[in-house]
Amino acid sequence: MAEVGRVSIRLPSTILQGDVIRVRTLVIHPMEIVQRDKANKIIPKNYHFIHTMTVAFNGKEIMWTELTQGVSQNPSFIFPLKIDKPGKLTVSFADTTGKSYEGAAEVKFS
Amino acid sequence: MAAINRPLFGRRKFLRAAAAAGIAVTLNDLVPSATAQTTGAGMPLPDELVEATLKRLFGNRTFQRGDDKIKLDLPLIAEDGGNVAITVDSILPVSGAAAVSSIYIISEKNRRPMLAKFSFTPDSGRAFVSTAIRLATTTDVRAIAELNDGTLYSVSKHVRVTISGCDMPAQS
Repeated sequence: MAEVGRVSIRLPSTILQGDVIRVRTLVIHPMEIVQRDKANKIIPKNYHFIHTMTVAFNGKEIMWTELTQGVSQNPSFIFPLKIDKPGKLTVSFADTTGKSYEGAAEVKFS
Repeated sequence: MAAINRPLFGRRKFLRAAAAAGIAVTLNDLVPSATAQTTGAGMPLPDELVEATLKRLFGNRTFQRGDDKIKLDLPLIAEDGGNVAITVDSILPVSGAAAVSSIYIISEKNRRPMLAKFSFTPDSGRAFVSTAIRLATTTDVRAIAELNDGTLYSVSKHVRVTISGCDMPAQS
């Protein structure tokens, strides 16, 4: 699992000013599920999963997401973004071990 | 205003603060306390029924049927419950007085029904999201759109799950 935390972002091939584009993003992460003992009780420990995804465009936070273990392994998302001017899109994921994974993409008109 | 609908002192922050406090106590008496065991960002919520989840998230507010406003795309039969594609698309605006502030995805029969929450701002342009979720068993999946003015629109769809994607019961 050397790849844990790799974030990839895909943008549409053509972007025009004023478009609402759909951004695809994927992060490699185990999103560890709950384990139970014989009595069906949750084993208390620090489960390793992503709890927050934040999307920022040109430094301004535009979307904020709360995730749980109910989201699949290697979570992928498609989210909308309204483009008025070119800029830098960053998507960051925070997990329960305190690590943060970030991906960035340059949005240009074409 | 383009402020994100975020609680000032959310559950995560609270749990983290509680965990930090727990660790401080532990360092003092060198005995792991019960609170340090059961709190922390990685500790899941206790099991609860979907009614309890809805009450915790929305209080006693009523839901309006949103079938004409929200489109929920899910497979009829999911072979692998661990990876079920879900798409929520809404024609409701994300700016103005009656804007969508958040979309919740809730599974009725998962042991922790709250799966994900997506908060939008006017810069999103559209209330849309697509992801993959885990379903424990054959269940109804709800998508709930919360508007700035407090209105809640709910849609649900039934999914048959062949193999559970969640916590399996321990072998007896």
